[in-house]
Amino acid sequence: MNRKQQFKEGLITNNPVLVQQIGMCATMAITTTLFNGVGMGLSVLIILTCCNVVVAALRKIIPDEIRLAIFVVVIAGFVTIVDLLLQAFIPALSAALGVFIPLIVVNCIIIGRAEAFCQKNTVKDSFFDGIFQGLGYTCVLIIMCVFREFVGSGRFGGGLIDIANGFRFTLDGTGGGIQIFPEEFGASIMNLPFGGFLTLGLLIGLMQYALKKSEKKKKAAEHAAKEAALKEVEE
Amino acid sequence: MNNKIVKLSLVLFVICAITAGILGIVNALTWERIDQITHQKEYEAYAAVLGSESGYTEVEFDKAAFPTVDSVNQSNDGNGYVVTSTFSGAQGSITMACGVGTDLRCTGISIIEHSETSGLGAVAASTSSAGEAFRAQFVGQDEGIALSKAGGSIDALAGATITSTAVTNATATSIKCVASLG
Amino acid sequence: MLANILSISLGAILINNFIFSQFLGCCPFLGCSNKVDTAAGMGLAVVFVMGLASAICWVIDNYILIPLNLAFLETLAFILVIAALVQFVEMFLKKSVPSLYSALGIYLPLITTNCAVLGVVLLNVQNNYNFIESVVYGITGGLGFMLAIVLFASVRERTQFSDYPECFEGFPICLVSAALVAMAFMGFSGMKIF
Repeated sequence: MNRKQQFKEGLITNNPVLVQQIGMCATMAITTTLFNGVGMGLSVLIILTCCNVVVAALRKIIPDEIRLAIFVVVIAGFVTIVDLLLQAFIPALSAALGVFIPLIVVNCIIIGRAEAFCQKNTVKDSFFDGIFQGLGYTCVLIIMCVFREFVGSGRFGGGLIDIANGFRFTLDGTGGGIQIFPEEFGASIMNLPFGGFLTLGLLIGLMQYALKKSEKKKKAAEHAAKEAALKEVEE
Repeated sequence: MNNKIVKLSLVLFVICAITAGILGIVNALTWERIDQITHQKEYEAYAAVLGSESGYTEVEFDKAAFPTVDSVNQSNDGNGYVVTSTFSGAQGSITMACGVGTDLRCTGISIIEHSETSGLGAVAASTSSAGEAFRAQFVGQDEGIALSKAGGSIDALAGATITSTAVTNATATSIKCVASLG
Repeated sequence: MLANILSISLGAILINNFIFSQFLGCCPFLGCSNKVDTAAGMGLAVVFVMGLASAICWVIDNYILIPLNLAFLETLAFILVIAALVQFVEMFLKKSVPSLYSALGIYLPLITTNCAVLGVVLLNVQNNYNFIESVVYGITGGLGFMLAIVLFASVRERTQFSDYPECFEGFPICLVSAALVAMAFMGFSGMKIF
């Protein structure tokens, strides 16, 4: 399988959130600071990759009738492992994401990829699929976080970047971020549920616009090529 | 048919058992650390509101009269009490530690757990300058503590009146609870 | 006790509405809100399953997992209970209450992956609710979900007649209108029963 193709699919043409339109609950709920977004994205990426590999490895032994039950058990297992590890080593992230970490179990992205991709593909392909789809998910989260944080509180990289004591990355969520304009001028409604729905709506709208445009371009190019070929024949 | 069902349940059972086993191992490796972190957070909150060199001892209080109070801990140094309480804020419950000196004045507050809106109510718990300034107002207040719009001297956080009111009320309750100990 | 239950109910239905303030259950919310009828059917099924799941999971958590020190298996146990529960409810309804089955049947399988159901069970644990509080939270949370989805379906039926940019076709326009409904629900925040 073509890795470049897979990469492009995960990030753009078959992006889990923007094109497949699944796994939206967490996308809207936790994207208030960059720290949450990156943490959630990477957690999903790790869980997705592990689940993909395990499901692909077991695909020949899993009986068809109970495959969904087995997928769910495998996913719940990995989610709990990540949950426990986060609680032990990055407690700030686990506190910030709260119930949305265990809820990755019912995130349609993971069960969707297991069902649609890993059942029919080799371990290696599934591994890369997990990484690219996870990256696509993380990118969307990051875009949403940056936008909501900037408009909502005039900040960039809250929790993740600390500039008070020289520029450095903080893993315990204590960094103040880079204040671009004073917090009082921010539209704090963007930090509320309203902002979540609106930002995701605009982002998907933008994506549909871009996809349609590139499709039109492709069609026009094809059309032009055909015309040119016809002309050549005529001549 | 029956054979098939037995086989299917066996496969499912084996997978569940393996998963549970792996989780057990991970849990055994991490629980000590998680436990430590939880306690450390509590102790840090206690120390932030009322310094004590020799630790704290939990004391009995009238739970029926103060339903939101979780525990009252007397400082072994004899300089006051730390009251932890859980009450509802704007989005969910807030757990807070409140230090009360022997003169029945607040020595400081620290929010241990909350689920307030990021950027609004959550400022009350944040380490930002606005959060520090908000919490600093509580030091030295007595049980008549109130928001400035209710005739007191606590300035509410911008856009988070509900959170501010809840924290202020909980501080008053904590002081009253200590007062009731006599 | 009664005041407590009332405040949990009010919180679950209006103030901390599962969809508009906690973002739990957004997938079925956007997927099943084309028509008011379907939305009401989905809502009813969710109320039913959420109430049952809260009750059963509370019993399992407090009488099996916690005494055995297996609290770390909560997520795994809960999702299996919910999946099995949905299956049983489906079989039971099919056999004994066919009229209800024909109304709810097609929505039931979708509920397993509804994060509102797993969410309510996990929140019950997180908030340390007792049995009655858990069941009340489950049912009223479901009612809040139903209120949101029915209200939103009526809004969505209207968007069909409005003139929006072509690229907003489908999900984007739904999300933008959901944002406006969410703003209306913000008005409830801070309401309290004393």
